[in-house]
Amino acid sequence: MARRPLIRVLLVEDDPDIQLVASLALADIGGLTVEVCGSGRAALSAASSFEPDLILLDVMMPDMDGIAVLQELRARPDTGLTPVVFMTARAQSHEIARYKALGSLGVITKPFEPATLADALRGMWERHAG
Amino acid sequence: VTPGLTALSEAYATALRDYLEHGGEAPLFKAYQIGRSALAAGLGALEVAAVHQEALVKDLLQMLAPEASSETARRAAAFFAEALAPFEANRRGFEEATGVLRGLNQNLERRVEDAVDAYRSARLELDEKRRLESLKDEFVSLVSHELRTPLTAIHGSLGIIITKFGQRLPEEVTRLLEVASRNSHRLRRLIDNILDLEKAESGVLGFDIRTLPLRPMLEQAIDVNQPYAAHFGVQLKLEEVTPGLQVRADGERLMQVLTNLLSNASKFSPAGQTVAVAAQRRGTDVRITVTDRGPGIDEGFRDRVFQRFAQADATAGTPKEGTGLGLSIAKAMVERMQGSIGFDSVPGAGTTFYFDLPAQPAAPAEGATWLGDR
Repeated sequence: MARRPLIRVLLVEDDPDIQLVASLALADIGGLTVEVCGSGRAALSAASSFEPDLILLDVMMPDMDGIAVLQELRARPDTGLTPVVFMTARAQSHEIARYKALGSLGVITKPFEPATLADALRGMWERHAG
Repeated sequence: VTPGLTALSEAYATALRDYLEHGGEAPLFKAYQIGRSALAAGLGALEVAAVHQEALVKDLLQMLAPEASSETARRAAAFFAEALAPFEANRRGFEEATGVLRGLNQNLERRVEDAVDAYRSARLELDEKRRLESLKDEFVSLVSHELRTPLTAIHGSLGIIITKFGQRLPEEVTRLLEVASRNSHRLRRLIDNILDLEKAESGVLGFDIRTLPLRPMLEQAIDVNQPYAAHFGVQLKLEEVTPGLQVRADGERLMQVLTNLLSNASKFSPAGQTVAVAAQRRGTDVRITVTDRGPGIDEGFRDRVFQRFAQADATAGTPKEGTGLGLSIAKAMVERMQGSIGFDSVPGAGTTFYFDLPAQPAAPAEGATWLGDR
């Protein structure tokens, strides 16, 4: 499989302020193409229409949390293989291990560093594709 | 004590333990029979009563340790009341004995009641303490999480402004942004520390205890913390370490304890001074020491050193760098590794923080044998 660069990222985050900060960090600083969703349900339809290379998914969201979204994505043929990176404020080591066991590519802990957020995702992407 | 009385005492103790463990009527009946045959065999009523009482009290109080179940306590009380009943009933010809027995009986009943009451209130206190602990843990965890969300927005916004527009801003604005950014980092450290402390104390955090060679750990801790010490013009130095020393500890947590002690010592050292690290064997433990040449710890502050958010007064005008949690975390982690922590301090001359961890007996050096000592 030829390695290609990470371009399209779907950001799923319910807090509007963090939506803004994270999308600026990924698009303006990181040079990625970003689509933002405010809920797990919106993420499921955007995952099909936007066709992201990677999904950056907040864990704690009302209604449908990140874990439920990941499971639903995996059950669908068109999104079953899309890599997912969790973003969480609860970053205890056993929780990180659990998120990885669920099949995520990695975990970004909040507060994240905006200057290096895109690079962190690229690193996970390259390890995954390579 | 006649052999008859010794045998009687043992027979009672066996019957009582049997009853406390299994309940039921048979051991009770046995105790009654034992008493009757002892009387028939010519032992005095008072002697029999005394043995009976002694056996009961001894076993009963042993059983009533706070961790014993209330069921055991209830059985013990029931056994006691029933087993003494035959002696009370047997008044004919034993008027004097009955009077004494009744006194003993009441005395014993009071002691049993007191013991049961003490057990119950200890139990209640423990339940309440556990409830409060778990409430506190939940609260800390929730607060830490709730704090991280707004902090992510603040920290992120500042980072983006500095990264994206930093070059184009007036110097004064950049300086203020750096103040804000530095403090958002500090807030983040504080939240991380609160979580660490809560985890270390609540026991959620898994500790991976292994046998570790100590010297490389100490060297690494000094390397990692040297840049922070240099910030205060302080030099970290490894002094005497007993060769071949090994400890039983979690490597990551040991490193965190060392980091917290080294950064504390660096902060309180005058510029140009040295902070010394050393380690010696002490019986079955290893004692690791971190010594500074700072101002020492005031008499009035000594009992609060390991308390959370306790900070010795910094010189007026110097912003406090720390979170006030480093030493509490060090203490909690050392204790989770079966160790203990403390300090010696001479006002004006400096402070030595030390902690003891279980030592692993050093493997004999290659080629060395015990015969060589002869």
